[in-house]
Amino acid sequence: MLAFATLGSQTSDLLPPGKAHLRESAQDGARALESFLAEVERKAFRIAQIALRHESDALDVVQDAMMQLAHRYASRPPEEWRPLFYRILENRIRDMQRRRIVRQRVMSFMPWRGEDEDDPPDPIDQAADAGPTPAAQIESDQMMQSLEQALTQLPARQRQAFLLRNIEGLDVAETAATMKCSQGSVKTHYFRALQALRSKLGDIAS
Amino acid sequence: MKSSTDELQGELTGGAAEFERRARQLLSESVEGLPADTRSRLTRARYAALSSRRSWPRSLARHWVPAGAGALAAAVLAVMFIVVPRQESPTANPLASAAPEDLEMLADSDAVQLGRDDDVDYDFYEWAVGEAKGANAPSLGT
Repeated sequence: MLAFATLGSQTSDLLPPGKAHLRESAQDGARALESFLAEVERKAFRIAQIALRHESDALDVVQDAMMQLAHRYASRPPEEWRPLFYRILENRIRDMQRRRIVRQRVMSFMPWRGEDEDDPPDPIDQAADAGPTPAAQIESDQMMQSLEQALTQLPARQRQAFLLRNIEGLDVAETAATMKCSQGSVKTHYFRALQALRSKLGDIAS
Repeated sequence: MKSSTDELQGELTGGAAEFERRARQLLSESVEGLPADTRSRLTRARYAALSSRRSWPRSLARHWVPAGAGALAAAVLAVMFIVVPRQESPTANPLASAAPEDLEMLADSDAVQLGRDDDVDYDFYEWAVGEAKGANAPSLGT
């Protein structure tokens, strides 16, 4: 609710008393935007995390996408926010992947690199969350890990189509708007993704 | 979910549809089961995005108003140094400062031709002066 207050005060300081309806409209817009971001942030994080395989990078990407939407597209009709947000998110994910490639190439030429990078991973960091978990939860976690692993091996467009549909629940038209391609291309990407995942995971559905 | 009613759903065969349902369930559980610290960081990121939107017009003004003022000053200087020197000074072209009646007189072909000695009939003027003096002199016969 803090954000509501700050956003509301933004316009209330500037508008004359007779323009209360404008102030209310701005507050409604701010509430709608916050509500939208709260609804999509976890799904967006998971999409970014699966694509990047890195939690901090995924958080950075999601925050960038939220800022970009708030800065540039908040005045657009709310029904346009979802495809816009996921398009921004995908662009940020791609930018992050490109930066990683460049960084890896640069670092490969550094003679002093590698000492800390070659260290074995900290087992504590790699360990799953502590605490007793039911067998079903373990099985579900293992299946999720398998699915996530298989998703990372998909081509980017196939993974994007699959996640937008199955995490965010976008339909074909919305997915096409987000991916900036035709609905036919979305179907092609989606079916290929599904086929590849089934061939790798097989009995995930059992 | 919207996708349960769209056209893709109808095109999936039984095994594919079941696989999709299970994958969706797993992904949904992974979204809902995010650790508390991750959810907290996402909430902070959301507030940061909304707060930055609040300060956006001010930061925009802070950056773009000085830039606009600088561009305006540069444009004024460009006008002063480039456009103004191209205007010819009044001394360079005397016609530019001439009054309209002067221009009309100069352009009039019937006007008296001044300054052209070869066209002046000096003999006529001498005769006329002499005639005038003779006419004003007291008559000897009266």
